[in-house]
Amino acid sequence: FSSSSYRISSDGKPAKFQPPPKPVIIDKQKQREERRFLSPEFIPPRGRTDPLKFSIERKDMIQRRKVFNIPEFYVGSVLAVTTADPYANEKANRFVGICVQRGGKGLGATFILRNVIEDQGVEICYELYNPRIQAIEVLKLEKRLDDNLMYLRDALPEYSTFDVNMKPVSRLDHEEIPVNKLQVRMKPKPWSKRWERPKYNIKGIKFELPEKKMKEAQKWSQPWLEFDMLREYDTSKIEEKIWKEVSEELKK
Amino acid sequence: MMPIWTKSGTKHAVTLLKVQDCHVLRYISKEESGGKISKLLVGGKNASPFSKSESAMEIFKEAGVPRKQKVTTFNVTDDAIIKPGTPLYAAHFRPGQFVDVTAKTIGKGFQGVMKRWGFKGQPASHGQTKTHRRPGAISTNKAAKVYRGKKMPGKMGNIYRTSFGLKVWRINTKHDIIYVNGSVPGHTNCLVKVKDSILPTYKDCNKNPPFPTFFADGDEKLPEDLYDEEIFQFTDPSLTYA
Repeated sequence: FSSSSYRISSDGKPAKFQPPPKPVIIDKQKQREERRFLSPEFIPPRGRTDPLKFSIERKDMIQRRKVFNIPEFYVGSVLAVTTADPYANEKANRFVGICVQRGGKGLGATFILRNVIEDQGVEICYELYNPRIQAIEVLKLEKRLDDNLMYLRDALPEYSTFDVNMKPVSRLDHEEIPVNKLQVRMKPKPWSKRWERPKYNIKGIKFELPEKKMKEAQKWSQPWLEFDMLREYDTSKIEEKIWKEVSEELKK
Repeated sequence: MMPIWTKSGTKHAVTLLKVQDCHVLRYISKEESGGKISKLLVGGKNASPFSKSESAMEIFKEAGVPRKQKVTTFNVTDDAIIKPGTPLYAAHFRPGQFVDVTAKTIGKGFQGVMKRWGFKGQPASHGQTKTHRRPGAISTNKAAKVYRGKKMPGKMGNIYRTSFGLKVWRINTKHDIIYVNGSVPGHTNCLVKVKDSILPTYKDCNKNPPFPTFFADGDEKLPEDLYDEEIFQFTDPSLTYA
């Protein structure tokens, strides 16, 4: 293509040649491949169980995922789950809430959704592979500063209320998952657990406790834990293998 | 152990048992066993032949089979005798059958009376001197002796116990795995004996079992997975209540 190299500026002298800006190529396929998400219930726990048991369980899990879509979500995302209920009006029950905890491995994997409905806090524990679940929609996909948001029980109720008729927040495919760095304000003590203690390692609370209490909580810190070699469980290689297996099976 | 869901939506916990290299080792006739029933010796998991004496290895040599880690006897009727050396598979059992599972329980070592027999012990405070987990009185005054079999501290666990009436939910013929309802005595990867149930409620449960056993080189070609009728299979769509 041609570009005219002479432009007369307002002064009358020829302006300096400005090269065109370099095009930024976003390779969406590569970005999608680079961001791999393996659901945490696929990673086998450390123990003396035969690996054959995990591979058979994985086959069942993949089979269920082929028929029913279990979307990618993290602790801190807002989900809506419809379950089949014989005693409900339309035989189906819809619950919206923030995912507070993801537990269990294999077919028994669970996730807890929390919401405050008519001033009453409600937490429901759903099993990911339960056949009674008819749909799981992710209304807002985001991460929080912690893996476990159980402290929301002792936080002000505004942090756990979510609109039941919330619309799903749209997001582009290749964007990174946003981390919500919200620091939550708590109700006055006593709490259900002493969240200020280092064993919970919570970063998402705005502690308004006096300095003395925070220093006293550090008495229970166990600084040797991070150097304990027997507690190390390196899952990178296992994750790679399982990711390959799962993605190949799901593509078929 | 794994969860399993039925078509009505209820969840059951299931134990996976693997049938690993089982062979029939010897047939003991009625007269030999000195009773009214004939027996079959069956061997389990393969093990190394070097740590046993020659005389112990004779049984395995006769049957033409590598040395097995565990040998058990099964009481058999005359029409169910199998030739020694035939391999036994998980397809011997079918989904919907009821089964008894015997194994050695997890050994807990020398245990006190509270853990071993469930005694209540004594209070933690209010004047108790050095007595919090002791058995207390062991007999009456009139008896003037301690009865045989008195519950006292001792070695707990590591004995054979059976779970009766467990339902078979699913059979995997490719890997020889039996999915059995509920829990089973023993630790993970321990050796276990699986028999048809002796409970009177399940006497007529086996409709058409493979008799005397399932032969791999026979004419029957089974699919890879055999399911019970009530199990929810993951190939079906999600459950709905009409």
